[in-house]
Amino acid sequence: MFGNNRLTVIMEVSVHFYSYFKDLTGCAQSNQTLPDGSTLGVLHDKLMADFPKLASMKKSTLIAVGVDYQLRDYLLKHGDEVSLFPPVQGG
Amino acid sequence: MKRSLLITADPINETALLAQRNMSPGMGAVVNFLGVVRGEEDGKAISAIDYEAFEKMVTHQFNLLFDEMAKRWPVESVRLIHRIGIVRVNEPSLWVEIAAPHRGEAFAACQWLIDEMKRVVPIWKRPQFK
Repeated sequence: MFGNNRLTVIMEVSVHFYSYFKDLTGCAQSNQTLPDGSTLGVLHDKLMADFPKLASMKKSTLIAVGVDYQLRDYLLKHGDEVSLFPPVQGG
Repeated sequence: MKRSLLITADPINETALLAQRNMSPGMGAVVNFLGVVRGEEDGKAISAIDYEAFEKMVTHQFNLLFDEMAKRWPVESVRLIHRIGIVRVNEPSLWVEIAAPHRGEAFAACQWLIDEMKRVVPIWKRPQFK
C-alpha cells in the first residue's frame, strides 16, 4: 500500500581529508549520505557546499576511492571510503 | 623486478642500506638518489618539514609505479624509502636505489620514478618555519 510514494534509497560514504584540506574543513573525516546512484562529482559538490573553503581548491583537488584515483563520473557505492586532498608533494 | 618500499618515521641509515645491496653479475649500473630537506621554503628559512602520508594509498601507488617501471626498463631491483613526520634541514627525506644493466636505463628509470612520485603518490609536506 505504498501508493505513488517513491522510495529514495540512501547510501553512506566516509570522506577523509588530508594535508591542509583538514584545515579548510576543520575535520579529518566526514560521513556523508547521498541518494543511491550518486557520482563522485555530486559528492564533491555537496562537500563544497558543506565546507565552502574547499571550493577555492576545486580545480586542483585530487579524489580517490579506496587507494585509487577516480574521476567525477565515478559511481559511488554504499560504504565507499573517499579521500580528498591537494596536489601531492613527496620527495 | 625485486622491489623494497619503506615508509618510516625513522632516519634513513645510508650506510646500512648500502651494505644490504644485492645485485646479480649482469648489473652494470646503480643509481642512488637522495632527496634532502632544504633550509628554505618560498624564500623563508625553515628548520624542518613535517611529512604526512596516506600510507595505504602510498604503498599502492608506488607499487603501480614499480609495475610500470618494470615494463619500461630492464631494472633488476628498486629500493625506496620515504620518511614521514619531522625531517630536519639537511636530512634525507627520500632514498632511492635503482639497479639495471646499463647507466642509461638506470638514470632514466630513477628520474621517471621520482617525477611520477611527485605526481601521484599521496605525501604532503608542512614546512616548519623558524
